Amino acid sequence: MSERGDVILEGSGLSKTYRLGRVDVPVLRDASLAVRSGEWVAVLGASGSGKSTLLHLLGGLDRPDRGGAGEVRFLGARIDRASAWALDAYRNRDVGFVFQFYHLLPELTVLQNATIPTMVGFRWLRGQGPASRRKARTLLESLGLGHRLAHRPAELSGGERQRVAIARALANDPRVLLADEPTGNLDAKTGEGILDALAERHRAGLTVVMVTHDPAIAARADRRVRLVDGRLVEVPA
Amino acid sequence: MYQSLLVARYLTSRVIPFIAVAAVALCVALVIVVVSVMSGFLDMVRNSGRTLVGDVVLSWDIVGIPDYPELIAELEALPEVEAASPVIETFGLLRMPYRMPGGGNKVETVQVWGVEPESLARVVDFRDLLYWKKPTAEEAGAMMPDDPRLEEAYDAEADAMAMRKPDGSPGIVLGIEISPFNRRQKDGTYRTMGRFSGEQDAGHWMPAEPTGVVLTLVPVSESGSIDVEKKKPFKIVNEFRTGVFQIDSQRVLIPLAEAQEMLRLAPAPLYARDGELDDGGRPKRLGTSPARATTILVKAAEGYTPNQARDAVEFAYADWTRRAFDDQAKLVKPPPGAFAMTWEERLQDLIGPVEKERGLMQVLFSLVYIVCAGLVLAIFWSIVQEKTRDIGILRAVGAGRTGILSIFLVYGLVIGVLGSLGGFGLSTLIVGKINEIHELIGQPAPAARWSAIYPRSAASIVAAIVATVRGSFLSSLLWIIGALLLGGLGFILSQHRGVLIWDPSVYYFSRIPNHVDVRNALFTMGFATLFSVIGAAVPAARAADTDPIRSLRYE
Repeated sequence: MSERGDVILEGSGLSKTYRLGRVDVPVLRDASLAVRSGEWVAVLGASGSGKSTLLHLLGGLDRPDRGGAGEVRFLGARIDRASAWALDAYRNRDVGFVFQFYHLLPELTVLQNATIPTMVGFRWLRGQGPASRRKARTLLESLGLGHRLAHRPAELSGGERQRVAIARALANDPRVLLADEPTGNLDAKTGEGILDALAERHRAGLTVVMVTHDPAIAARADRRVRLVDGRLVEVPA
Repeated sequence: MYQSLLVARYLTSRVIPFIAVAAVALCVALVIVVVSVMSGFLDMVRNSGRTLVGDVVLSWDIVGIPDYPELIAELEALPEVEAASPVIETFGLLRMPYRMPGGGNKVETVQVWGVEPESLARVVDFRDLLYWKKPTAEEAGAMMPDDPRLEEAYDAEADAMAMRKPDGSPGIVLGIEISPFNRRQKDGTYRTMGRFSGEQDAGHWMPAEPTGVVLTLVPVSESGSIDVEKKKPFKIVNEFRTGVFQIDSQRVLIPLAEAQEMLRLAPAPLYARDGELDDGGRPKRLGTSPARATTILVKAAEGYTPNQARDAVEFAYADWTRRAFDDQAKLVKPPPGAFAMTWEERLQDLIGPVEKERGLMQVLFSLVYIVCAGLVLAIFWSIVQEKTRDIGILRAVGAGRTGILSIFLVYGLVIGVLGSLGGFGLSTLIVGKINEIHELIGQPAPAARWSAIYPRSAASIVAAIVATVRGSFLSSLLWIIGALLLGGLGFILSQHRGVLIWDPSVYYFSRIPNHVDVRNALFTMGFATLFSVIGAAVPAARAADTDPIRSLRYE
């Protein structure tokens, strides 16, 4: 267990190149970021600057370029070289993702969407048991969705969908929340509500890494970094 | 598990899986119906063949088995044997009682069985096989009013069981298909028709024919040399029907004693062959050569299989032969080479082709499994394409590749199982009602039925026009297709004059078998399910390989 203030998630020397047709497009070049436990870090950058790629590398959805010196560590352990099984477990238990476009499963109800990470976590007895459902219900109620549990995502507003996505991300009590433009698809007022919800969890000790292109939204974070030419630079407070 | 939750949701919230289930169900139903009907025919052939052979056949052609009553008594004492009956099998020429247009009587080549009707009836259901007998109330209802069997005093069964006429003349029982006057009708019954007129003609009712037939047999000696042929007139006392065309169109039954007499297998004096003379200067008579039978039909006792009965008969025959050879009093020794066969082995020439046909059909229709797999593959490919984002989401919350793979494999399995069960239900319905469906197709469609379809077709055209006006191209197209289908159906029904696909007057059995072959059905269902999973495997593997970053990147 890390103490509040210790580095919990660290990416160092990260490089990532995508191939578009016959052309290699470098997105990240020796990018480094250390996130402390309980910290809220905002990653700023223009569209296409590699913000989401950075988040995917930190969240174990993708790996840095082979042959590069980059590495990702969670609580000191390397996850960029972890096995596929270990990475699945990392994504399931240690981090939670919130996406700009919510990415909810359309066939499932709000409650089922919020329960799915617990079910994926192979906790068979708890997965479908009343305890996990109760927890998901409590989470959803705390996000103001108590009256929407049996609804499908298509029946919800954008703000409601994003709150369901937050509940899903927090279902397994992760240490780190990775939010990719969480308000990017919402109006200002609704976006503000989402940030308030994140802030509330942050105050309770949740580490947040948030990607945004909007400096005003980034202002809610404890610390801001900017991606410029594939490298991260600190933004003065 | 999240897989079962997602499979249940994917299955119930879309139309595509139901199309896949329906495709599998139709494939399964097709195979089960075809194989069940073929198996039914095979069973019919087997049962029909068995009715005139018994369970085990012990035979020694040409010279036959001497002292057969002694052998039969020993066989009937075996626990594995219930009854046994002697038969003489040979071939002969049968001169029919009617003249051909060019002059002369028609002569048929026939397989002749000399039998003892009473003992034969203990081995096979001989009485049931007789065609001309007092009808049941149900049978009487379907008969022509002038059918002689409807007469109060009608009794052809007694003559058949005695195998001679009351005046003492020897009788013959013909297979029902030997006489060309016997025409099988669409209901599977026989009517005696004029040979050339094609009209109902009771005068040609074969058993009532007063002149009878003449049977010619050729005795063959032990060394294979042919003796002078023997001709004898017989009165037709009845006809029999086993249900196997090859038997009913070739076989005739005559009294065993007559066959023995004509083939020189009856008891006869036995003279010394070494030139020894008696006191009167004639060849010395050693004794009497006993009567012979070429075949012994055996019925297995309750609780014993034909194979068990065959082994017991073979063992008993070998023992009896050994004792006969040791017995100096027996002047004629039984042939040590006589062998026993079960009815199935004996009728292999009849059963074999039908079995092969069924096997061939099974193999050919097994291609349907590949169609099944192809359909599931195509449908699942589009489902995976559509669910790419879901796969990315699940990977993001920690689902592994195997988890994603298992979603679609379980999905394929569920579709296979549901399709198989649906196919089984559908085939049970079709096979159970196959004769009713067949009869329905065999009749012209009632005018009220097809004329009611046209207004519906017209209403569909109106709906298509309305949909076009409202600007819905899809609705308009669907209504037009509906109108065309209804119109086409109405036209087909109006032109339908009744088609009997399975005409009992042409094919042998009057009813199409209507029992589902459960063993083959389970086999088919298992394979359809397996191939559904195989069909789902390729898209499932593709789903598992889906890059979550790509699938989540764009909305």
